[in-house]
Amino acid sequence: MADLKTQTPTETLDVLGRVCPYPLVLTKKQLEKMSSGGLLKILCDAPASAEDSLPRYAEKLGYGIEVVKLEDKGYWEIFIQKK
Amino acid sequence: MATKKLGFVIRTLPYKIEGSRLAMTHAISSQTVEIYLADGDLVEPVVCFIGDGVLNCLKSQQAMKNYGLTSLEQHIKNSLLLDLNVLICKEDVDKFGIKEEALIMDAEDIGGETKAKIVPYSEIQKAMESVDHLLFC
Repeated sequence: MADLKTQTPTETLDVLGRVCPYPLVLTKKQLEKMSSGGLLKILCDAPASAEDSLPRYAEKLGYGIEVVKLEDKGYWEIFIQKK
Repeated sequence: MATKKLGFVIRTLPYKIEGSRLAMTHAISSQTVEIYLADGDLVEPVVCFIGDGVLNCLKSQQAMKNYGLTSLEQHIKNSLLLDLNVLICKEDVDKFGIKEEALIMDAEDIGGETKAKIVPYSEIQKAMESVDHLLFC
């Protein structure tokens, strides 16, 4: 799979400060609006969402996903490519 | 592939009891469970405010000031942001003499596109009859 984090995202979703379940449901809502092939970049500081529910959701739908933890900033950048 | 319909009927006052907060939290959380379900299975919640429960929908709640609690106002707006079906009983709104402009009907300030609906109780009854699981709070 192509390196998603080096690509220019189609959309960026900032869910910093939001905890489960909001990162996932807002991501679902955003992805529903996007076209096939679109790349969504999500900024998330909720560990359970970044490391569990968002990857699980993307994998279930067969979407490409790359999770990048930014230790210095204390949040994750998650890249999901819609199939 | 199947859709499970859940109904949350809120009859309790907004504060000093956790009923409405519990219902809203479960309705919102239900939108995430599909990641644990079989492919194509979905969960569709409807949130109904009836009786004293319609008071949960009032704008400008002062929960933090009066009770030291986070406001349910944001919870309701979040449910609209997530496109949940929110129904408010017209007869009970009228009984309390509440005008529509005093109620949280949208979440446009946080990017929501869905609006709450004030409907006759008969429509809420239909919604309750159409769901697979019903929770009264």
